[in-house]
Amino acid sequence: MDRTPMELNPGDEIRSAPRVMTRERMRWYVDALPTVEANDGRVHFSVPTIHDDDEYAKGQGLPGIISDGMITSNWILDLLLRSLGTQVLEDPGALLTKFVAPVYEDVPITCVLRVEGAQPLPQGGQRLSLKVWAEDGAGKLVTVGTAAVKIH
Amino acid sequence: MATGRYTSDLEEGDRLGPVDVVISPFQVREYCHANELHQPCFQNDPNPIVPPTMAHLEKLRFYTIYCPDGCGPNARVHYTFDVRWHGALRAGMPLVVEGVVRSRYMKRGREYMDVDITMRDKSADRLLVEYRDTVCLSYREAAKDAA
Repeated sequence: MDRTPMELNPGDEIRSAPRVMTRERMRWYVDALPTVEANDGRVHFSVPTIHDDDEYAKGQGLPGIISDGMITSNWILDLLLRSLGTQVLEDPGALLTKFVAPVYEDVPITCVLRVEGAQPLPQGGQRLSLKVWAEDGAGKLVTVGTAAVKIH
Repeated sequence: MATGRYTSDLEEGDRLGPVDVVISPFQVREYCHANELHQPCFQNDPNPIVPPTMAHLEKLRFYTIYCPDGCGPNARVHYTFDVRWHGALRAGMPLVVEGVVRSRYMKRGREYMDVDITMRDKSADRLLVEYRDTVCLSYREAAKDAA
């Protein structure tokens, strides 16, 4: 992005570089959950899930493992923070994501922010409303949503 | 109350918590590392900001407490993540977290469940995070469509 956040206008789009949804990335997330829950400084491993176990996923009617939707949500959050700054977490904000299509192994994912509105605030700064999404290599939407943040 | 066994047993109106929670720096760093959130405010700060996406883990905390036998006959699938934050939530802050099963409903032949969760600063009784989580409980049918 060659403009500051305050120079963004409705219609502007910010796109991430693609990341491939590898098996490792899916597993990192799966095993992070029991590790965070245990909170003892050691790694803990999940029971089999549709995100990391091929046989379990097939038993649930899937052709293979699919990523947890929170991974693409976090990648969208990452793009938001890289583009607008981590200050957006200090002020009130919102993020909504819907998981509209499965993400299979080795699919490249690009995250996108599109400015829908920019409202100046009386105390300075402005409120940005954005459409957010993640798409696969063919441009098919896999995660869609909205965000609202204050920028200075 | 329909708590105590499977996630799929939860009923509209079921109360989850309140529970006292302190999120540690380790938990923030581990979660952010797994999600490739490498910003210094998550990884370097001694009292890191808790990313708003971690609100999702509070639902999983309640599932562990109230639904110890897992998801039930079918895998559930997370459908919507919807969070609002009112200020920075930092690791080490004493919190009170509570939730409620807001609704269960059918849509296009599939059953969905909304759970609303709040995270409050315990000492100031200040609302920091509101989160609505929507899951599809009939995942086998959804998976057939997705495949």
